Amino acid sequence: MTTQLTTDNPDIVILQSRLQDSDASTRRIALIELADLEDPDSLPWLTHALTADTNAEVRREAARLLEGWEEPDVVEALSTALTDSDETVSEIAAQSLSQLKTAELGHIILRWVKNENPDVRKHAWRALRELRLAASAPDALHALYDENANVRREAVGVLGWLKYTDALPELARLASNDSAIEVRRAATGALGLANNDSVLPALRSALGDAEWQVREEAASTLGKLRLAASGDYLISALADSYWQVRLQAVRALGKVRYIPATNGLLELLGHSISNLRKETALALGELGNPAALPALRNAENDSDPEVRKAVRIALAQLDKN
Amino acid sequence: MVWENFNSIDDVKHIEQEYDIVVVGGGTAGPMAAIKAKEKNPALNILLLDKANVKRSGAISMGMDGLNNAVIPGHATPEQYTKEITIANDGIVNQAAVYAYAKNSFATIEQLDRWGVKFEKDETGDYAVKKVHHMGSYVLPMPEGHDIKKVLYRQLKRAKISITNRIVSTRLLTDDEGAVNGVLGFDCRTADFHVIRAKAVILCCGAAGRLGLPASGYLMGTYENPTNAGDGYAMAYHAGAELANLECFQINPLIKDYNGPACAYVTGPLGGYTANNKGERFIECDYWSGQMMWEFYQELEGGNGPVFLKLDHLAEETIQNIETILHSNERPSRGQFHANRGTDYREKMVEMHISEIGFCSGHSASGVWVNEHAETSVKGLYSAGDMAAVPHNYMLGAFTYGWFAGVNAADYVAERVHSDLNAEQVANEKQRVYAPLLREQGLPPAQVEYKLRRFVNDYLQPPKVTKKMEIGLERFAMIEQDIEQIKANNPHELMRAMEVSVIRDCAEMAARASLFRKESRWGLYHYRVDYPKRNDNEWFYHCHLKKDAHGNMVSFKRAVEPYLIHLNAQEEIAYQGLRLKVANS
Amino acid sequence: MAQQQQSIFFRSNAPVTVDEEKCTAHKGCTVCVEVCPMDLLAIHPETNKAFMQFDECWYCMPCETDCPTGAVKVEIPYLLR
Repeated sequence: MTTQLTTDNPDIVILQSRLQDSDASTRRIALIELADLEDPDSLPWLTHALTADTNAEVRREAARLLEGWEEPDVVEALSTALTDSDETVSEIAAQSLSQLKTAELGHIILRWVKNENPDVRKHAWRALRELRLAASAPDALHALYDENANVRREAVGVLGWLKYTDALPELARLASNDSAIEVRRAATGALGLANNDSVLPALRSALGDAEWQVREEAASTLGKLRLAASGDYLISALADSYWQVRLQAVRALGKVRYIPATNGLLELLGHSISNLRKETALALGELGNPAALPALRNAENDSDPEVRKAVRIALAQLDKN
Repeated sequence: MVWENFNSIDDVKHIEQEYDIVVVGGGTAGPMAAIKAKEKNPALNILLLDKANVKRSGAISMGMDGLNNAVIPGHATPEQYTKEITIANDGIVNQAAVYAYAKNSFATIEQLDRWGVKFEKDETGDYAVKKVHHMGSYVLPMPEGHDIKKVLYRQLKRAKISITNRIVSTRLLTDDEGAVNGVLGFDCRTADFHVIRAKAVILCCGAAGRLGLPASGYLMGTYENPTNAGDGYAMAYHAGAELANLECFQINPLIKDYNGPACAYVTGPLGGYTANNKGERFIECDYWSGQMMWEFYQELEGGNGPVFLKLDHLAEETIQNIETILHSNERPSRGQFHANRGTDYREKMVEMHISEIGFCSGHSASGVWVNEHAETSVKGLYSAGDMAAVPHNYMLGAFTYGWFAGVNAADYVAERVHSDLNAEQVANEKQRVYAPLLREQGLPPAQVEYKLRRFVNDYLQPPKVTKKMEIGLERFAMIEQDIEQIKANNPHELMRAMEVSVIRDCAEMAARASLFRKESRWGLYHYRVDYPKRNDNEWFYHCHLKKDAHGNMVSFKRAVEPYLIHLNAQEEIAYQGLRLKVANS
Repeated sequence: MAQQQQSIFFRSNAPVTVDEEKCTAHKGCTVCVEVCPMDLLAIHPETNKAFMQFDECWYCMPCETDCPTGAVKVEIPYLLR
């Protein structure tokens, strides 16, 4: 270890010899004590340990302890550590970077999004997501074409959190066509940033995805958007093979108040999964179609109390209309 | 044998310090109180005392897996929330206090979010609020909420709050005008005696979680973190503060034997639910309340019991998600417990039970009375968190009221000087505290605690029977004599000995408060067999309890404050409609 | 001589155990001792390693989770297992 770091901070002075001990676990314990001071004066020692210590355990500890410091030098060191030869060091550094809150610090991280190592790119994008740095959008759009699915997934997150409407066509493309399930699911969720019908075709296609998690995400995103034009697609989702997808479709239909869904919903009032019967009753209340009255009255004696409660709420809503 | 370091009370190291504000308890509300007081006035000297270590103390030592009372714009309103809590608490609420929480709820979430506490967000970065209740949506999951204490600790250190760990606070000091002017306590490792002068004290000591004995018989197998023995309740009581509605006990549904929360708020949005032995739902009540516990208890005791957490109908991916959340947050040893017993969520329902009784306003309504400024009825004394009587405040309410307490205490001390300490109070308490350590022989604290808490179960556990509670009071009086015989072998045991006296005080308060309210209310929490009906004519009141000028424990009625937000007739009816298997109305 | 009070000790199986080869308490680490809310762990004066001194475990896990070397193991106390 080098000894060029100096300080007159007494709390650090007493730790100094242990911070430079030849024994790695002694250095590591000293670092833990140092970080416990939560003193900015300790940062040069921590960043030095992260970037220069020969022992991976010590570097891992430093990466962990540097979490929560919104300082350019710290971000610089953590970003550099994304390329550490020890995979765990880079993962912990990524975790610490993902805790940052100050948008401007994102400029430092942006320098790493084109690194040749896909894990570095993934980690950099993950850290950028919560920063919502507007300047990261153009590169994030490029990263949607990354050969690595994890990188694409994190880039989707960045654009979604930025609510970057210009990305909608690209997000729609990924939602429908990406080869990775998690990318399609995330892109489907990110379409929730839209404020118009432009995303409908993509969400319709996602409702027909081969994987139920994507279909569920599509249905819940349609519920969030409350697009009247989505009613017919949602009706078809009422017949999904997964009750979890049906449930989100039911909720979305309730939010959209799509009257033509009445018959499809009525059929679900008798479904064997009570979670679904409950949501169906609530959605029928939202729809406010008196045609549902006889079936709802019938369901007042459902075996499940949650369903009965939902039915009573729905009946009260229908009474009001 | 007297502890090796002591021969007489003169050997006790006496440490005197002076701070503007002392916060007792560094769990949830305490750190927030300390930080917000310092923000309000950076010139203040603030001390945070903890019986454990602030890094991992309190109810959320291992984090929290979700918020169940988040009032987030677009999903719920403060007015709707206040109505729901009013209903859940059978009308006996100070709406001003509940409403003050509700209006600040979102600001608290944003503050925590800025500090790095992680809440679930959707793919566009919006809070992923889940609908669980029928009226509003208040559930915000925190699948990565395990670091919350780390985040708080960082903020405390950076705000330059003084922290002293491992101090057992035992009594508050009061001056001639009755205002709080200090805290007494001892170090549970060295037995040093601490006298800390303060212009204001904020009690954030958590629930009284070691009141009843868990069904397992294991003393520390409690629902609450067992450090939360009720220290704050006892300290506030002896300082003359009023405690409110203590008869509204805390009883929670939990995983049997493990005694940890089943976390319906985690599993509910994902499709899990509480079921009877037929695998069917049975809970009619919509709110976490005594009514819900009543229904739970009936099912447990009836032919459809036991009660289970049902997850076996969920998709494999969902179950994996639940396992990740439940086994890394709040009570992470759950996974190990289930593995030991061969319980796989995919195949078996998880057997549930109800917890031992306790006081906790965070989950019910039993606490030290505070107003919407977190002020207690004693001048200079503030309180927040599970021990402060703002009904159903949970973790977010603890943070919010910690915030209020910090800001208001900072304002209060700005115009105060330290008042003289009462030497007699200090000397008496020193005698009381060190007696077990100086005794040559005597009863072990754990045995006295076991017996005391078994009596609590025998005589106070609902359904509450007048005669039983009267016998309980006799037994608790006898335990008072036993406490005089406790022998502590070391400072650690001295901590346990002092906790026994705290638990005894709480047991007596629980019995007297329950005997005073001669009606049934709050479902199982206060079901009195001798007065099985709710009686709004005579008992639509808060019931307060305090130590009077003669040192007697007295109970009295306080009018329920006029509502700020009225329930319309339809809401009343809709609510009554939800209560089919009515317990006590 | 009249009867004298006498203490007698119960035996218990510690739910928290420490792998002394991994434990670095002898180098100054006190993480597990610090974080235990119940103050049950201590450094043994002879071995200079962490150990469970009092059996009042809440099986809450910070000692195991926070140990930098993975030396601490928490078992559910036998009465609840």
